[in-house]
Amino acid sequence: MSRSITLGQYMPGESLIHQLNPRVKILALLMMLAVMFIVQTFYALIFLLLFAVLLLASSGVPFSYFLRGIRPILYIALFALVIYFFFTRGGVVLLRIGFITVESDGVREGLFVVTRLVALVLYSLLLTLTTTPLSLTHGMGYFLKPLKYIGLPTDEVAMIMSIALRFIPTLMEESQRLMRAQLSRGADFESGSIFRKAKSLVPLIVPLFISAFRRADELALAMEARGFRLGARRTRLHEDIIAPRDWAVLVFVAATLAAALVLNI
Amino acid sequence: MFIGTEKLSHIYMPGTPYATKALEEVSFSLDRGDFALLIGPSGSGKSTLIQHLNGLLKPSGGKVIFEDRELGSDSVDLLALRKRIGLVFQMAEEHFFSETVYDEVAFAPRNLGLDEVKVEQNVKLALERVGLEWEVVHDRHPFQLSSGQKRLVALAAVLSLQPEVLILDEPTAGLDPGGRLHLFALLKSLNQQAGLTVLVCTHHMDEVADLADSVLVLNRGKVIMSGPAHDIFARRQEFNKLGLSLPEVTEVMHCLAAAGLPARTDIYSLEQARAEINSLKRRLEK
Repeated sequence: MSRSITLGQYMPGESLIHQLNPRVKILALLMMLAVMFIVQTFYALIFLLLFAVLLLASSGVPFSYFLRGIRPILYIALFALVIYFFFTRGGVVLLRIGFITVESDGVREGLFVVTRLVALVLYSLLLTLTTTPLSLTHGMGYFLKPLKYIGLPTDEVAMIMSIALRFIPTLMEESQRLMRAQLSRGADFESGSIFRKAKSLVPLIVPLFISAFRRADELALAMEARGFRLGARRTRLHEDIIAPRDWAVLVFVAATLAAALVLNI
Repeated sequence: MFIGTEKLSHIYMPGTPYATKALEEVSFSLDRGDFALLIGPSGSGKSTLIQHLNGLLKPSGGKVIFEDRELGSDSVDLLALRKRIGLVFQMAEEHFFSETVYDEVAFAPRNLGLDEVKVEQNVKLALERVGLEWEVVHDRHPFQLSSGQKRLVALAAVLSLQPEVLILDEPTAGLDPGGRLHLFALLKSLNQQAGLTVLVCTHHMDEVADLADSVLVLNRGKVIMSGPAHDIFARRQEFNKLGLSLPEVTEVMHCLAAAGLPARTDIYSLEQARAEINSLKRRLEK
């Protein structure tokens, strides 16, 4: 169960990328994604892919985690490749099987789109693998702030998001514990028809809901006891400072992206 | 060997930076009819160890043995195993999901595929064994009961499997002193009258120390001490070092001995302490 959520799971580390301000990381990612969609030449794209690999290496996260993160999109990539190969016309005919042809423009565009997809996912993984969910939501909360002026309670939304993220592992752990507890009472979650299986989940879902509601109740009380009020301004334990090195990284990323745009010409 | 482990190791989330060794080469064994204690500070691997004993967790290394056979060899049917080795989780009343006490206790025997007549017999016997009255509780909602009664229903919900081995994880956590005493009296009678092999994980030693035949002490996933209860409890210094404490009466007897009185220190229950102090008084008056 825990294996399937490694996509985007935080991996602790000490690298420069880990220590950057999350706002800077999000901004850099947005810049990279934007450039990724602007570039039209292979040179620029390969350059961006190499840049991604360089960043991955410097993050110190084992490479296998990125590979595992890419695995879910492999099928989409394969599908896109097939569609482009067989249905895009133009250029030299490379292969002819009866009335089906593979033409050079299709191959070129297919490879381009897939490379872009892989690079996009690598950059996104780089953010989620090196940033704790909590600082990620803080960072996103910052970029949502302008929405406050049209009446959206952005602080509260960020708070809800970070609480939800905070409790995902707790609930996962709890559901596993529950599963084992009911297994030791002879429960069977695997065999039988789909209706039987659905019915066998009742002993998991009912206690899970009960404890989730109780937990929510207790949390609300605890937060109020510690002075949480809707609409009140909050201060933070870890101050959100953009350090000189954050600026340096931003400039570095911007320069690299500019280089990619030059290559694009 | 009736039930036990040989060099059992367990690693959580192996192959990730979150990998943690929960158990390291743990070996122990129990005989049929034993009453054993598993003690250790929080996070020492107690819960991990007992979840191996009925096949809920698979060893990362080593073996779990039941009736001289290794668990996890394909021939062992897990449902049959869980019927014979009952495991009561910590705060097991949080796992309730039924609308009546009857259904809650009947969950396990129904899972065994018994017919409803046999199920009802099992439920009746289980409720009787934990000292709950059938007429009073069987059609009540489990959440209407007191916390002590809920815990007893949770125990009955496992006893309804009619297991031969009963393993309990912190069975008295969150109970008041009355509930604790009642529960331990119950475990004693299950062990002595019904002949169940009992293994209790705890760090509340006050009521239970006197019942135990053997003791296993875990710390950081390793066995620190194991053997007959009296030998283990004599090693008071080591206990204190681990942040564990002997029963309070034992501590009192140690204080008396430290004050120079000829008091015995192998005293683990109030009755024993009362008898020893009376005899000490008589000896001193002479």
